[in-house]
Amino acid sequence: MQKKNNTSPVLIIGGGVAGLTAALDLAAAGQAVHLVEIGGSLGGQVAKLDKIYPTDHCAFCPLWTDIKRCREHPLITVHTSSTLRELKKKDSHMQALIVKKPPAIDEARCIFCGRCQKGCPAGAAYPAGVHTYPPVYRIDRDACTDCGACVTICPTGAIDFHRREESMTLAVSDVVWAAGFREIDVSPLKEFGYGSHRDIMTSLEFEEWTAEAGPNKGTILTKSDRSIPESIAFIQCTGSRDQKFLPYCSAVCCMHAFKQAQWVQRRNPAVRCVILYTDLRTVGKDYYAYALREARGNGITLIRGRPSLIHPLPGGNGIAVKFEDTITQKREIWKFDMVILNGNIGPSLTGDAREKSVAPALTGEGFIDTGVDEGSRIGCGFSLEPADVAESAIRASSAAVRVITGQDSRQDERG
Amino acid sequence: MAKTIIFLCRCFGEIGAAIDLDHLGERVKEDGAVVATSIVDSLCLPEDIKNVASLIRESGAEKVVIGGCSPFGRADFVISGLTREGIERENIGIVDLREACSWIHRDDPQGAVTKAWNLLAMETGALEHRKRSEDAVIKVRPEVMIIGAGPAGLAAARSLIRLGIRVHLIERGGSPGGMLNLISHVYPSGESAGEKIAPYVEEIEKNTLAVFYPKAKITSFKGFAGDFKVTLNANEKEHYIRVGAVIIASGARTLLPYGLYRYGNLKNVITQMELERQFIKGTVNTRSAVFIQCAGARNHDRPYCATICCPSSLKNAMRVMEELPGAKVFVLHRDIMTPGSVMESYYRKTLSQGVQFIRFEESTPPVVLGEDQVRGVEVYDAINGVTRKIDADLVVLSTPLVPNEENRKLADMLNLQLDRYGFFSEIYPLHPLETRIDGVFICGSARWPVSSDQAIVQGEGAAIKAASLLAGKEISALSLSRVPGVKTGHATVSKDSCTGCGNCVSVCTFEACRLQKIDGNYISRVNKMRCKACGNCVAVCPNGTMQLPEINYRATGEMIRRAFGDMQ
Repeated sequence: MQKKNNTSPVLIIGGGVAGLTAALDLAAAGQAVHLVEIGGSLGGQVAKLDKIYPTDHCAFCPLWTDIKRCREHPLITVHTSSTLRELKKKDSHMQALIVKKPPAIDEARCIFCGRCQKGCPAGAAYPAGVHTYPPVYRIDRDACTDCGACVTICPTGAIDFHRREESMTLAVSDVVWAAGFREIDVSPLKEFGYGSHRDIMTSLEFEEWTAEAGPNKGTILTKSDRSIPESIAFIQCTGSRDQKFLPYCSAVCCMHAFKQAQWVQRRNPAVRCVILYTDLRTVGKDYYAYALREARGNGITLIRGRPSLIHPLPGGNGIAVKFEDTITQKREIWKFDMVILNGNIGPSLTGDAREKSVAPALTGEGFIDTGVDEGSRIGCGFSLEPADVAESAIRASSAAVRVITGQDSRQDERG
Repeated sequence: MAKTIIFLCRCFGEIGAAIDLDHLGERVKEDGAVVATSIVDSLCLPEDIKNVASLIRESGAEKVVIGGCSPFGRADFVISGLTREGIERENIGIVDLREACSWIHRDDPQGAVTKAWNLLAMETGALEHRKRSEDAVIKVRPEVMIIGAGPAGLAAARSLIRLGIRVHLIERGGSPGGMLNLISHVYPSGESAGEKIAPYVEEIEKNTLAVFYPKAKITSFKGFAGDFKVTLNANEKEHYIRVGAVIIASGARTLLPYGLYRYGNLKNVITQMELERQFIKGTVNTRSAVFIQCAGARNHDRPYCATICCPSSLKNAMRVMEELPGAKVFVLHRDIMTPGSVMESYYRKTLSQGVQFIRFEESTPPVVLGEDQVRGVEVYDAINGVTRKIDADLVVLSTPLVPNEENRKLADMLNLQLDRYGFFSEIYPLHPLETRIDGVFICGSARWPVSSDQAIVQGEGAAIKAASLLAGKEISALSLSRVPGVKTGHATVSKDSCTGCGNCVSVCTFEACRLQKIDGNYISRVNKMRCKACGNCVAVCPNGTMQLPEINYRATGEMIRRAFGDMQ
């Protein structure tokens, strides 16, 4: 197979669905790959999801398979807990400085017994996402008091707080950015009331809270008093499609809300679900039928309107949501037990965790700007354009072929 | 009986505290096959593997049973470690004593021990009979057939020839370009459709690696990943080609919405495609145009959103206003489908250009007014709660893309599945360009309606999938597994006992089984490249001739016998 006139490996930033797919496609075509992931394990945001739409499957099996293939492929070198610190152009290739900050718990030795969590007085030890492979515990260094209780309690000696940063310099031919998305804090938008009540949560928090492998084993409970909620509001476009906050549409949230609402209904049909939306964007394969099947069949209420105020009721007894139903033109104040905020996600490359010096050119909205010639930097996944699982996988494959055929990123297409 | 060694892992008390492993070790030894048991604190730590491997060698055992944790967790490390040490996968049995026994039955320790013993006994018995499927290796034909020369097919073809792979580009029509030949401009870039497609066509025409077959039809299709045999009729000439992979990029067609909004009845009720034609010819003429979205989509008959109609309308609305200064354009819509960053800003741009958007509900569709020509449109504006009468001399219906009628035939020929609407089905969202048949990939609007830009991206994606498959000179049947080392092989027939009843042929959904006449008798043969080890054939085989070696009837029978005792 013809390759671009080099044999240097390709650097992929991000080990989520996009990064995994790009790495596997490149490696299968005979191209060596370095896959750099900032988190402790591969799988990205999808590993945190309980279910994926529109098949309602658990994401674990296909993701587990791809992670395993990635870890075992002779042409793929995986660097977890690592970041790209420096990127320099040198002759025909690029030099990348990768810095690895090993986590306190060594994944090769953690047997997932959970003694660190039970023994931690500060509650800093926690199991990594429900679908991580291998299953492993993590320590939240911000909450950790360095008491050392976990170090003594760990039967395998997996915990060490003094592991050194390792750095390595790689000669790479291309960089594929697949950095994915991150949640954006909506507490500055006071009308959504985020932070004022434990039952006002973001949809990713809700996903984790209600996951079958999560803290409640799939039971739908409120966070404040662990009671069964009577009603849940899903608020779409939280902070997004808002010229003053996130101007773009995050693309995945409508379907995400439908998925969550129908899983709430399946697990407890007595819970009333209301989705407050702007436009129901269900453009992918089979999405519209998925969305409406559940909305019609299970009595999920769809209301077109954005809330003007979400506020806890006195005594913490429920949450008031004030909105105008734009179809009936009526102003309403409804009481809900839980409010799920959906839409506040943005490209990761705008985060502070990224070194500005190495990041590719970004658009005003924070996505990779393909209009600027940045050499051979290519993007895929959410960091290029809001994308769900299928779309990320497609763009990653396309990025892979563009890397091998040496296609200029100026010819990149989006839309 | 095969000599077996059993490792029981205490898992630092996670198993050991709940289950009395010493006692369990004694009990499993009663099985005559067990030559040694070893109770250890851990098996999965980096330093354990070598130790375990040498213990296995010393014991002289052929089979290893690991009583540890779930194979989806740490036990996977033990399997891969031992296979690296040269122990064959089919000789390793994993029994989940942690998640499945000690953890989940915390409140019933006696039950946990019984279950652990049962599982160990079953696995030990089964391991004795597990076999490995014989692999098959075929020589790869490093060529790809692409069905459809629209944007998706052309992008796939261009990527493949750049990778040095020979391409057969099959087109039903006379020239490449697909639906782009019918439209004026593309969104969001605003390029003309011709400009968009020209560099692809040019590069493909110049390159000797690509063969273009106009007016082509596939007449027969056989084979498997790495070596498909296809006969075509192109320009009334027969062609026989052999290709390693197939990319379906056959696109979709537009709907002619007869009966909707008086289309076909009033002259100036047209579709977006006809408007595109008018743009090309330069004959667009309107003072006031009304675009109606979801004409024939998101309804009972077609419960899907065709993705491209909203953005196309935005594009054409802006274009009408640009070409005909002073003209008004109203877009009557249900939801505006412009997800993402690029398309959302495209929508905002349209709003800023003075295009008027009016939202209607499915239950109160707009009504086109006029006797012999369009006079206006009456619509209930759902946002403002009023009925509006819009003067208009042109009504443009945004109709969805619908599946090609030939999809069914093509799917039958290639043994693919269509979704409920008639588009080609993917295997699952994480692998959206792959189909149930290895070596056959889908992209563009044949999979689901997409814009030209998305079709190009998908075409490229399908190209790398095909190229990866053909990257080596050979493909082995077992390597087609998506799960390394876990594929359950493929069905195997015993020549001696097959009666040629043909049950397996009728239930095989992958067309892997067929009857072959050998020495005057029909017997079943399994194509290893096509078989997915689903086990359908095993279930219907009347005399147990058809087996999956890794989970054959002896192994399964032994497991059942050990679990429930001999059933008389």
